[in-house]
Amino acid sequence: MATISTHLRNFKEPDKDEQALLFFSIPSTATGGPAKGAPAPGDDPEKMDINAVLSLGGQSQEDPYAGKLHLIPPYLAFVSLDRKSVKFSLPLCTIRRVERLNARAGIYALSFSLWHGMKIVVQLTSLRPTADLFCELLSKALKAELQAGRMKAVKPFSKTCYSENLVLESSPVADNEREDGSLIDGGEKVGVGGAPVFHGGLGLKFKFPGDPKKLREASKTKLWTTYLRVHGRHLTLLRYPQCTRLVQVGLPNRLRGEMWETLSGSIYLRFMNPGYYEQILADNKGRNNTSTEEIEKDLHRSLPEYSAYQSEDGIGALRRVLQAYSFKNPETGYCQAMNILAAAILIYMSEEQAFWLLEVVCDRLLPGYYSTTMHGTLLDQRVFESLVARCLPIIHDYFQEVDVQLSVASLPWFLSLYINSMPMVFAFRIVDCFFAMGPRVLFQVGLAILKINGEKLLQIQDDGGFIHLMRDYFSSLGESAHPDSPDPRARAITRFQELLLVSFREFAVITDETIFAERRKYRNEIVTSIESFSKRSSIRNLKTLQRFTKDQVGLVYDALFKAVCIEPPPAPVQPPIALLTTKDAVEERPETRIELRTFRLFLSEIVTWARDDKIVTNGFQQRVDREVAEHELIDRLFYFWDFSFRGSLSFQDLVTGLDGVMFNDLMENIEWFFNLHDKNKDGFLTKDEVLTLSESMLFIFRFEVGDAYLGAISRFMSNAFEYGDALLPQSEGEDGELPSPKIESNQPYLNLATFRMVVLADEVLESFFETDLSASFRLEPVPLMELPTANSGLLGGLWSTLASDDNKKLFHKFSDEVGKTIGRHQVIHRPSIGRYRSIEEPRARESLLTPSMRRSASKSSLTQDESSLKTSSASTTSLPSTTTAVSLDTTSSISQDSIASPAEYNSLSLVQAANAALMERTPFAIDDAGDEDDEDEEDEEEEVNDGVLDEVDAFLEAHDPGVSDADRELSKDLINAEPVK
Amino acid sequence: MADAASGSAADKSVQVKLVLLGEAAVGKSSVVLRFVSNEFQANKEPTIGAAFLTQKCRLEDRVLRYEIWDTAGQERFHSLAPMYYRNAQAAVVVYDVTKATSLEKAKTWVKELQRQANPNIVIALAGNKVDLVQPSPAAGSSASESEDEADDATATPGEAPAEASDAENLRQVPREEAQAYAEEAGLLFFETSAKTGEGVVEVFTEIAKKIPLEHILASSRGAAGRPGAAGRSASQDVSLDENQSKGKDACNC
Ligand SMILES: Nc1nc2c(ncn2[C@@H]2O[C@H](COP(=O)(O)OP(=O)(O)OP(=O)(O)O)[C@@H](O)[C@H]2O)c(=O)[nH]1
Ligand SMILES: [Mg+2]
Repeated sequence: MATISTHLRNFKEPDKDEQALLFFSIPSTATGGPAKGAPAPGDDPEKMDINAVLSLGGQSQEDPYAGKLHLIPPYLAFVSLDRKSVKFSLPLCTIRRVERLNARAGIYALSFSLWHGMKIVVQLTSLRPTADLFCELLSKALKAELQAGRMKAVKPFSKTCYSENLVLESSPVADNEREDGSLIDGGEKVGVGGAPVFHGGLGLKFKFPGDPKKLREASKTKLWTTYLRVHGRHLTLLRYPQCTRLVQVGLPNRLRGEMWETLSGSIYLRFMNPGYYEQILADNKGRNNTSTEEIEKDLHRSLPEYSAYQSEDGIGALRRVLQAYSFKNPETGYCQAMNILAAAILIYMSEEQAFWLLEVVCDRLLPGYYSTTMHGTLLDQRVFESLVARCLPIIHDYFQEVDVQLSVASLPWFLSLYINSMPMVFAFRIVDCFFAMGPRVLFQVGLAILKINGEKLLQIQDDGGFIHLMRDYFSSLGESAHPDSPDPRARAITRFQELLLVSFREFAVITDETIFAERRKYRNEIVTSIESFSKRSSIRNLKTLQRFTKDQVGLVYDALFKAVCIEPPPAPVQPPIALLTTKDAVEERPETRIELRTFRLFLSEIVTWARDDKIVTNGFQQRVDREVAEHELIDRLFYFWDFSFRGSLSFQDLVTGLDGVMFNDLMENIEWFFNLHDKNKDGFLTKDEVLTLSESMLFIFRFEVGDAYLGAISRFMSNAFEYGDALLPQSEGEDGELPSPKIESNQPYLNLATFRMVVLADEVLESFFETDLSASFRLEPVPLMELPTANSGLLGGLWSTLASDDNKKLFHKFSDEVGKTIGRHQVIHRPSIGRYRSIEEPRARESLLTPSMRRSASKSSLTQDESSLKTSSASTTSLPSTTTAVSLDTTSSISQDSIASPAEYNSLSLVQAANAALMERTPFAIDDAGDEDDEDEEDEEEEVNDGVLDEVDAFLEAHDPGVSDADRELSKDLINAEPVK
Repeated sequence: MADAASGSAADKSVQVKLVLLGEAAVGKSSVVLRFVSNEFQANKEPTIGAAFLTQKCRLEDRVLRYEIWDTAGQERFHSLAPMYYRNAQAAVVVYDVTKATSLEKAKTWVKELQRQANPNIVIALAGNKVDLVQPSPAAGSSASESEDEADDATATPGEAPAEASDAENLRQVPREEAQAYAEEAGLLFFETSAKTGEGVVEVFTEIAKKIPLEHILASSRGAAGRPGAAGRSASQDVSLDENQSKGKDACNC
């Protein structure tokens, strides 16, 4: 693996706005792809939220709920105070009318009519001016939507949704369902014109997994039909507690796909990007790359036992969806496990639906899970481990004791959403909850699995035992959880039901916020370990370390890594596929190769003369400002080390290149420097090259103290030309005048032997080539752009506040300025060689030159460099008057952080206390689910329905509408109130 | 279930942790499945993370219990591998004889194991899917197997169904080349077919012979035969001695 990836460095934790988008499953504009008709960048519509009480009109029996109404154009979203009972995210284009209601004085209420006739009333309970502002922004946003023309798109879109067919009073679909109860008949998928009316999955044709009767499909469908009639559907679904309860008992197969996209919010992407899926496939038709190759390998290896995947119907759909995803996200491409996920969701949804759902899973719900470093997976495994340590300390400690790694079993759970671990019918129910409630579900279920198996887990001795135990448990999920109970109702509870109960009851403390916070806490630890892993494997994959030790090569890598972070190279080179498949082709894996700009940065880390270190003293601090030097010599070195002539350097090239100079003795160094300047490698320098070489030396010595090097170089030039001329073949053989060069400046002129002689004639140059040149290449620990120390969200935050480059610069500027005013500002260039500390000029060796020649050596070009020695940059910057203010801001944000800390600790200890309390509960008690209905299939339908609901009730958590009785009354009034005017 | 049948042999039972590594779809899981249950499935799902299987075998008077970690092959799962090969006493690095890149990948695995893993680890290199490069109406292959052949061809993209005449054309890694590499790197070397079973048991036999069992026994005394360890019934044991000869037969034909 010779690629160096720095993308982990650029990761940013989601900020408040992004968290809100995540919470409401609203796509951020960045992920939606090139949305057609998206507002032009620049006129970002304004967001706002406001306190509100939500009431639902029509036949609903729902309580009013207090909460917050968010305007996040182009969406309107609401969440109840407890953040779990009620929420919705409505695209503004589904709103047909907004009216201010004529109600009691002092009440500010709006009524929204949605496209299918549903009416919701929202009472704005914030202060009047706030409410006015909100209305103003809302109407602006609505107008923008109208202009974008999306209102018209809603109705045709709704036709693609199965739920619309379901809610029709006399839908042939619904009728059919009630008759046969099995729902397995693909007949009405095709409409009058032969075009599919609504989107659906492979299950319509190839049957859905599981026994529909056992799954109580008919009853579930009926309950959902009622719910969707009253509470909206697809784009306009309102989520009341009943919705979550119905999800928790398992979605009915036919509705499942649509509910997944609705609950996860991928439906908004499909709605906003019509035709995108077909387009991206068309645009990339026939394209082949690593991803398509990897996909091809796995097509027949995805849920192979499901009949659709034994036919071209299923394989083709799977291929298209996976390819489309990889074309859209070339960075991620294709990761094994995505095939299983895609194959699973395609049973329930169309290709287009699956494409967008995959997008949401990979990008938003499980970020980084399937990336090339799989950092998201590793991070969540770390998070899971820490949650186990917190919630199930006994198991955690025991695992440590017997050296069992949690993730040997749990990693596949998360990576394939349990689809690969459990029988599919059960896994899909977990997936139902996952889309409705988010990633925390994976953690809750994982914890519940461990908790339920707690006693047995304390018997295992090694990783293998752990895996065996888990496998046995998963294969028994359909069995009774209490087979020996005298109570038939208790016996009817399956282990799977028990699992869900424990997940959502005992581990209700695990919230989205818990997951966010834990991810933040461990992110750096994971990034560091991934980076050090890829460092190790990069080093391991070098063909040769040359004469370096592993540690030294590690330092080279660090310098390279830092350079790549700052100046990313072009995407790794992928050798053409054709090369890979022929028998004797040279195998090349994609590798990172750096270009000149990155090389300069790299070299500046290692070579003293490839950087300008300015030592700045200003009375407050002494610091070193490092700038990357640019010079022809550095560029020359770049091409000198480009051993395969590709205009770019690999890690190996750098190691080999450095090896070529760092171990040299005097003679080798002279030869190296000669070769570096002998461009055509004919063993001769031309006159031009002699000049260039002298310039190179001048560049290297530019910051040295004293005149010693300047003298040496001028002597060198004179000698070189004298000897060069003297050794020229005297073809003419004429008079005694100085044989003025009869040779073109680009003709072979000076050979190595002569060059060596000239260099050795000078004490200063000799000592330079003897040791100083090699020593100017230094492998020292690179002050990497360190990550904040792990495990300290707080400290980390503080660190980054302080240490953000901008702030540092500001502080430096500020202190420099003050330093200047008090006359203590001083800038010194650090010498690259630093041999001569004083100005005294060492004597030249017994010279071969006449004194006159020595004097004549031109100093004109040197004075400039000399002067830079004395440069004081006192005039470089003028202080903007705002600097002080800004740096004050910095401090205040620091103190905010530290104020936040006690709260953070408090909430943490609360969670711990809560967990402790939970752990002391008696293990799952039978009567918790005592009102479970016995599975009498012959019961009347009504009773079956009740049975389903009983199961739901077992999950029911207390829902607090957060409103008083008076509010309730008011809400009733409002529903019936007349609009103003 | 477990150890009753082995009785006194349990005392001598040695646990050997073995890890399978190699590029995606070269047939790691299939090789394990062949070894553990003597089966072959044409379309095996890719391994996510890793799978774990055990198999007991007898070698002369000793009982070995292989704990086999079968890892995921895709490049990006690479960073997970150390979790599985830590403390492993043996490794089988698998490549696909019809795919040159897979040998390259195998080499990087070997390199990594030699530097990062347990220093005494016994490594075997296995070139799998040799059935694809042998003339297909080979002795012993039944009609049903040639049906399978067609399936496999779809599972292994880019390869036309092997016809007797140009079967050898599918081969991208000459046996000699891989063998020379294996010798140089100090590896056991085999060519195998999970499909026909050829060479599979031998891999595990030879590893068993090469592993310093006494050493492991001494260091993990407490581990063997303890109550929690899940075992397999004796009837499922593979007797390496027997199977070895069976394997040789397969080679001869
Ligand atoms: N013809 C033939 N096909 C094989 C052989 N071994 C495996 N296959 C096929 O190759 C494909 C991949 O096999 P797997 O065993 O899943 O490969 P793997 O190395 O475990 O793959 P990952 O888990 O993705 O790393 C499957 O379709 C197998 O049927 C073999 O010996 N001969
Ligand atoms: Mg596998």
